[in-house]
Amino acid sequence: MNTIAQLHHVFARAFEIPVESVNDQLEYQAIVEWDSMSHLVLIEELESTYKISIEMEDILEMSSVEKIKIVLKKYGFEIN
Amino acid sequence: MELYHLISENKNLIFTDATTGFSKTIKEMHQSLEIENLRSVVFIYNDNQLPAVETFLNFYQSRFTIALLGLGVNVEFKENLEKNYTPYYIYDPSRSEIEGYKVVDASRTIQLFKRIENAIYPIHPKVKLLLSTSGTTGSPKFVRLSDENLVENAQSILDYLPVKSDDVVPLNVPINSVYGLSIFNTNCIKAHQIVCTDKDVFKKEFWHDLKNFGYSTLGGVPYFYEMLQSIGFFKKDYPALRYFTHGGGIINHKLIEVISEYTEKYGKKFFAQYGQTEASGRMAFLPPEDLLRKRASIGRPIQNGRFEIEENTSELIYYGPNIFGGYAERRADLQFYHQEEKLHTGDQARKDDEGYYYITGRLKRIVKLFGSRINLDEIELLLKDTFGGKTFICLDLNDKHLAVLYTDANLNREIMVQTLKTKLHLHASSVKIIHITDVPLTVNGKVNYPLIKESLESEILVQ
Repeated sequence: MNTIAQLHHVFARAFEIPVESVNDQLEYQAIVEWDSMSHLVLIEELESTYKISIEMEDILEMSSVEKIKIVLKKYGFEIN
Repeated sequence: MELYHLISENKNLIFTDATTGFSKTIKEMHQSLEIENLRSVVFIYNDNQLPAVETFLNFYQSRFTIALLGLGVNVEFKENLEKNYTPYYIYDPSRSEIEGYKVVDASRTIQLFKRIENAIYPIHPKVKLLLSTSGTTGSPKFVRLSDENLVENAQSILDYLPVKSDDVVPLNVPINSVYGLSIFNTNCIKAHQIVCTDKDVFKKEFWHDLKNFGYSTLGGVPYFYEMLQSIGFFKKDYPALRYFTHGGGIINHKLIEVISEYTEKYGKKFFAQYGQTEASGRMAFLPPEDLLRKRASIGRPIQNGRFEIEENTSELIYYGPNIFGGYAERRADLQFYHQEEKLHTGDQARKDDEGYYYITGRLKRIVKLFGSRINLDEIELLLKDTFGGKTFICLDLNDKHLAVLYTDANLNREIMVQTLKTKLHLHASSVKIIHITDVPLTVNGKVNYPLIKESLESEILVQ
């Protein structure tokens, strides 16, 4: 189940925000909830949810929900 | 001001804004602000950017006493402190107006708030710098430090860190923390370039800057090294990086192994360090070559410092010229500077046959999360106040989690998390909220913290 809903739940868990408030436009450090601490949690959540290990170059690209989708695609998870 | 003298003697020193690449020499920073030279207090809300650094250096060489605080602390906290200490100047780029203050141009680029109604009061000649210990809760407490404290601390650090005169050093630890300040001071005395930045290691710009400027060193609290690990930093080499420092709590065993493998493979040095604001920074360090052999150790005392372990309590006691001059909780406390002969660290320790020290426990009820110390009794009080006097028990679980236990099943856990988040800036992933029906007590009727802690740490409650 690689759905957008699943991905949004990952964000909601990591940032402790309601799942309804997750959207593609969210960016790292643009909202108070997405700080370095929750980013660390987010990476762990993504890696455990999709059972992947994300490379440094890719982690540095993960600066928005949109960009994280692109990274996940690279790891074989197309999310629509 | 001896510290300023040492810094200004480093003719080779420049400060660079990471974003624009713009640099200023130490000479250009000297008395670059138009300020009155009074014996009063200035509040500097620091963001590690070039203007904050310039403001700090200008006031350091003046007669002012500086209270150095983080820019990010909430406005209510700032206003309380300002009402209490009536600073003559305030540097705060996050506010456009402050009641009772007018904006003055101190230079073409730097604005200060200046107090309209003068409120000058006596300050002890030795009180040069005020740093906040931890507290975002309760009444804020400053540590009184002298110029001599800071010089002694910086020199003991320079005795063991391999700082070179062409080093490039990013300010990635806030200089309003004593650890960040010691990175700043020591490198200002001896290194070449200080790069002012607010980019963290999750930002591409940080790595761009690291390569572009050729950072010689990185430092951070354990959490910083966890961030590095999470992005796979230890798998590759950046040749310009020669050494790493750490402060603000013990790094977990597994991560130490990763770091030590990395340093061995690429020929880097890692300095584990131990200190407190009350020691103006540093008390001990572990030589890089002992990292794996003595991995949980805080090492040995710095130059001119020594430890004793108190017989009955096992408390680690520190002696040295960098011991602070007491706390300030109100402005009247600034009249005094009492340097105690010994510093009670509040940590319990043991010493091995080779003279290395190990922290074994803590006398004070404190949890260290993300490098900052939070008093557990204060957290209990905060929750109690928020929930109309209900019972809360707070414990530290391996400096990794804060456990919050409550007895009234009707309480809203969401509000607990929210309270901890807004007042203490804690992330919910570091908090375990647990409902209990009975509070285990000691024979004296006190909360049996050791028993609760032991059962929590061994139980499934904590994954």
